[in-house]
Amino acid sequence: MKIDHSLPLEYSTDQNQYNILGFWIFLGAEIMLFATLFATYFTLANRTGSGPSGAEIFEITPVLIETLLLLTSSFTIGLGIHAMRLGNKKAMLSFFSITLLLGLAFLGVEIYEFIHYVHVGAGIQTSAFTSILLTTLGTHGAHVTLGLFWGLFIILQVKKRGLTPQTANKSFIFSLYWHFLDVVWIFIFSFIYLKGMM
Amino acid sequence: MKELFPAKQVLGFAFSLVLTVIALAVYFLDMSFQTGMTILLVTAFVQAGVQLTVFMHAGETDDKGAIYLNVYYGLIIALVTIFGTLLAMVWDM
Repeated sequence: MKIDHSLPLEYSTDQNQYNILGFWIFLGAEIMLFATLFATYFTLANRTGSGPSGAEIFEITPVLIETLLLLTSSFTIGLGIHAMRLGNKKAMLSFFSITLLLGLAFLGVEIYEFIHYVHVGAGIQTSAFTSILLTTLGTHGAHVTLGLFWGLFIILQVKKRGLTPQTANKSFIFSLYWHFLDVVWIFIFSFIYLKGMM
Repeated sequence: MKELFPAKQVLGFAFSLVLTVIALAVYFLDMSFQTGMTILLVTAFVQAGVQLTVFMHAGETDDKGAIYLNVYYGLIIALVTIFGTLLAMVWDM
């Protein structure tokens, strides 16, 4: 294994570079996946049947809290990768832990929101609108949930093995995933919630 | 402590917050659907760009050509899917 010390640790071997590029290709496919959900949402947004419309069930406060939580978590994991590049393992793990706590809080608010929707009569089977709404939000939420477990395992591994080309590479790829989840949320925030409440 | 908070990322975060506040204008202010959607399209795509370049380090390494090509490819397929669907299903063209 040839290690190039002029590059950051996560890029230092050929294998690492291919792993990162491979993950970007996965993210490209994820963009397309969410595009199909958005396309379906825009088609069905007004097909509310006898159920409520978006404007009737969306609340700005939880949505704003979710946005700030995810936006901040995207910032803190960026700081985590910066600390990793400085070789500061302790700071890196702190930033990664803060990121996961913010992610957990996000998930908590989203679960509250889902319970609220069911309470006001907007379950997944109520109308075409509610089913695509909850499918889109749920797909994003499932990604966040997966990310929480993934991030936890990354933290444990870095703790155990220290910063090596392998663990740095895994951490960097996880950070790409987490930032991507924030990007998807920006579009959900703008084109589902704000558009719906406009 | 200061070295843990690089100016580029702190500014990127601040800029993201500003964009979020601008996007909120469509909720708090009265405006037409067209104006609102224009604001949302601009703030959402600029913010996605900030994430990509500042936080995801997309343009910093030798593989940036392949990374951007792949992101643009994903984006084109996404836009064709969404606008194709809108054309056929919503705008009735």
